[in-house]
Amino acid sequence: MIDKLIPRNALAWIILGLFTLVAPHAGRLPLWVLVVYVVAALWRIQVYRGRWSFPGRWVKVALTVSACVGIFASYGSLIGLEPTVALLLTAFGLKLTELVSKKDAYVLIFLGYFICITEFLFSQDILIVLYSLFNVVLITSALVALHQPGQQRFSMRPLKRATVMLAQAFPLMVVLFFLFPRIGPLWTVPVKSHSAKTGVSDFLKPGDISNLSQSADVAFRVKFEGEIPPASELYWRGLVMSKLEEGAWRTLGFFDVPAKERRQAAVENIGEPLRYSVLMEPTQQRWLYGLRYASSPSPGVIKTPDYRLFTLVQLEDEYQYDVETWPATALETELTPWREKTELDLPEAAGNPQTRRLARELRTGVGSDEEFVRSVMGYFTEQPFFYTLQPPLLGEDPMDEFLFQTRRGFCEHYAYAFVMMMRAAGVPARIVAGYMGGEVNPVNRTVIVHQFDAHAWAEVWLEGQGWVRADPTAAVAPDRIEYGLEVAMEEEGSFLSSSPLSPLRYRGINWLNSARLRYDALTYQWQAWVVNFNSDQQYKLLSDVFGEVSARKFVAVLLGTWALVLLPVGLSLLLRRPIHRLSLPDKHYLRFCDRLASMGMVRDPGEAPGDFARRAIRKFPSLEKEVIDITNRYQGLAYLPEQSAGMDATSRTAELGRSVRKFQFARP
Amino acid sequence: MGAIQVTDGDSGLRARLRQRFREFVNRRIPPARSVTLDQKRIFIFPSRVGFFFILCLMLMLMTAINYENNLSFALTFLLATLFVVAVLHTYANLSGLTIHAVRASAAFPGQQSEFEILLERSRRREHFALYMRWPDSSESLVNLIDEDSVSVSLHLPVGERGWYSPGRLRLESTYPLGLLRCWTWIDLDLHALVYPRPLASPELPGLASDHPDGTVLPTPGSDDFYGFRDYRAGDSLRHVHWKGLAKGQSLQSKQYAAYADRSVWLDWDMFPGVGMEARLSHLCFWALAFDRANQEYGLRLPGSSIAPGWGERHREEVLKRLAIYERANPHD
Repeated sequence: MIDKLIPRNALAWIILGLFTLVAPHAGRLPLWVLVVYVVAALWRIQVYRGRWSFPGRWVKVALTVSACVGIFASYGSLIGLEPTVALLLTAFGLKLTELVSKKDAYVLIFLGYFICITEFLFSQDILIVLYSLFNVVLITSALVALHQPGQQRFSMRPLKRATVMLAQAFPLMVVLFFLFPRIGPLWTVPVKSHSAKTGVSDFLKPGDISNLSQSADVAFRVKFEGEIPPASELYWRGLVMSKLEEGAWRTLGFFDVPAKERRQAAVENIGEPLRYSVLMEPTQQRWLYGLRYASSPSPGVIKTPDYRLFTLVQLEDEYQYDVETWPATALETELTPWREKTELDLPEAAGNPQTRRLARELRTGVGSDEEFVRSVMGYFTEQPFFYTLQPPLLGEDPMDEFLFQTRRGFCEHYAYAFVMMMRAAGVPARIVAGYMGGEVNPVNRTVIVHQFDAHAWAEVWLEGQGWVRADPTAAVAPDRIEYGLEVAMEEEGSFLSSSPLSPLRYRGINWLNSARLRYDALTYQWQAWVVNFNSDQQYKLLSDVFGEVSARKFVAVLLGTWALVLLPVGLSLLLRRPIHRLSLPDKHYLRFCDRLASMGMVRDPGEAPGDFARRAIRKFPSLEKEVIDITNRYQGLAYLPEQSAGMDATSRTAELGRSVRKFQFARP
Repeated sequence: MGAIQVTDGDSGLRARLRQRFREFVNRRIPPARSVTLDQKRIFIFPSRVGFFFILCLMLMLMTAINYENNLSFALTFLLATLFVVAVLHTYANLSGLTIHAVRASAAFPGQQSEFEILLERSRRREHFALYMRWPDSSESLVNLIDEDSVSVSLHLPVGERGWYSPGRLRLESTYPLGLLRCWTWIDLDLHALVYPRPLASPELPGLASDHPDGTVLPTPGSDDFYGFRDYRAGDSLRHVHWKGLAKGQSLQSKQYAAYADRSVWLDWDMFPGVGMEARLSHLCFWALAFDRANQEYGLRLPGSSIAPGWGERHREEVLKRLAIYERANPHD
């Protein structure tokens, strides 16, 4: 069938789409897949130019088998998201070399759409989505080009049609997006295997946090319901580390905690809570962040005995949860014996004898634990300690070395030393890791917490007060607490020194900064409303807009909005400007002819009005007057439109119209 | 005539359904000289590719559901709604087109006749990939991009003597996405004339000569001068009496006469005892033979006759008379 050939223009569009499709995936693929891809495309282009011929059957089989083997070798498996995507892309490339008939083209194009979808499983960032939309437009153009036969040269014509159609489909898609019920996964699917865990980790040794602080990535964004508390109060607790092992502080594992200690002790909430929602970037971890004391009404969020928030599943994607915080609530005013023992534990193997000695000396000089805390803070203030993002490496007894020799450290050094000294002196203490502060975006009043806001501080347990926050960094570098890391590092110039292109480094440039903040506000909306849209939000949205949610309303809204879009689209398509437009007198005359035709007097094609009138009068003598009148008027208008007894063409046309209307009721 | 007739012999429910459907189509789209496509005549349904596309959409939806990935939902829905929008676009690609029957060339049985139709658009819109064919004809795929009309010729083998109706013309298009097939069946009032099959007979029995006495009959195309008469449209310019015209006389043609016995009458009665079709076939054969030999011949059938003559027009007239002998006019 002649319909089976691929127009050359379509081939050009397909090859174009091929390269734009692979681009966002390129970073995740083994290099050889990209090579296969490029070679396949070049091969097809050479065939297109008539230089080479299509690969033979056995070449194709060999290519397919070796691609599968190669992917297995690269990933160690064929199951999993990355190998699947690599397989899809390789298939896309190889299929191109055997693109001969229209049927192959359909397979390629639909595969292209599917590759677009797989991109979203890795990132749902606005820019990626816009790029994918661009890809969809290209692929759709290829599909349109496929149905424009005889177009042998590259032309932009298909792009226009594809764009128009997608633009018309877009509002329908939006309606469907918000109305379509979100049900849970039907079966488990392969997950991303190679993505790194990001953010604060669950163990801490000197140097960890200062490394993290080189990153300008966003950790999470917070939207407060009311006033935003001052930056110095924004201690985002994520992890509590009570165990010192091999020179690193660690969180307690599930089995480190006896069964009866696993429940959070009851707290007595004081005052009105702060209400806010946190939108986390994916971390591949399970802990969440909140201000002290945090409790979450969101389903799936669990509270731990050390007053943190937790989820049951790893955060593979952006995750949003609501939090209520009572800052004044006292935590754990009574310690259980197990808890006390754990939070005081300082094994001999942990070393640092000088530090322990210093702690005991300072403790004997004061009367209470509270005063002891103050005196240790005072020690950090008085001695020449230096707050730096580039701390020196420490050896066997790190705290001895830090306190008595280098005296240069980042927050984790101070927290480490502080907790060690507390425990050495018999005061229960532990390290808390998370983020501190955040940037308030004036555009939408969200607090943006970046990776460089990562922080470690301490909690001490004081008689009658329970757990109290103690941040030794505040004693060394008050600017860090008040104004954030950038100001604290102004002198050193080390803020984001390893990412010179990060827009955060150019906050001084006004327009750039406001563009960055606007984009961030957009990202927040995007993540909250699109990426994180779930059944709860859907229910809330629908009941806000339509009141009670019922199936009937669902269908009515869907059909109503669709009709609202499709009717104008259909009309604009069908009601194009006609090529032959009849003049008004012609229309009147044709109505007159129609009326005569209904009486059995049909005008022959091309019959002159005068001849037709004579025939009509012969058949219906009683209508002679009307027929002659209308015919004369019409002929007058048609052949001598400008001249008549004092009447212009418009009123003469109106007269003709009136006569013809009257004639509709005439009877022979 | 003009309506689709059930020609296949299969019986039972299927045949009855097919018959019903044809009657339905006949009612909906009656035959005409030119047909403008509107919603009454256009049918639309997902194509095979369209069903494959729906299958792909299901797969995408499963991916979106299982990964709980909202942007995958969005893209799946965008493609699904693109399908919906494509219904309008595919429909619009056929709507407003007018198909005019232009002409069909005459042919001998078993030969190909050329059917010419004209596709015209009524609104300023680009039409692509208009595919058309009759059940047995060649195919054609045309676009209407810059021009307002395009002429299409389709060839198809004709059947037996008489008026050949090619059946319904199928016009279809899957533009712009190939996901939907939009089509129509048009019964164009266009018929090809099929001449009798030429059938040789050993000799021309009893060469009929009506006037053995050699009566002079004025017949055009002979070579003996006979007289003048007033010029009539169609007379050869070679026969115009130019000298007379130069003298100021009115325009006159020279008349040549031939003796009737020098021209041949092909007569129905020449082949006694032969069936009607065979008789017509023999007559056809001899007409062609005389035509090739540039000899004059006339035709006499029961109820009608054509005076002897020669030339292409004469041959066509004779063949047509033979072709339609006792055959119904397709317009009745």
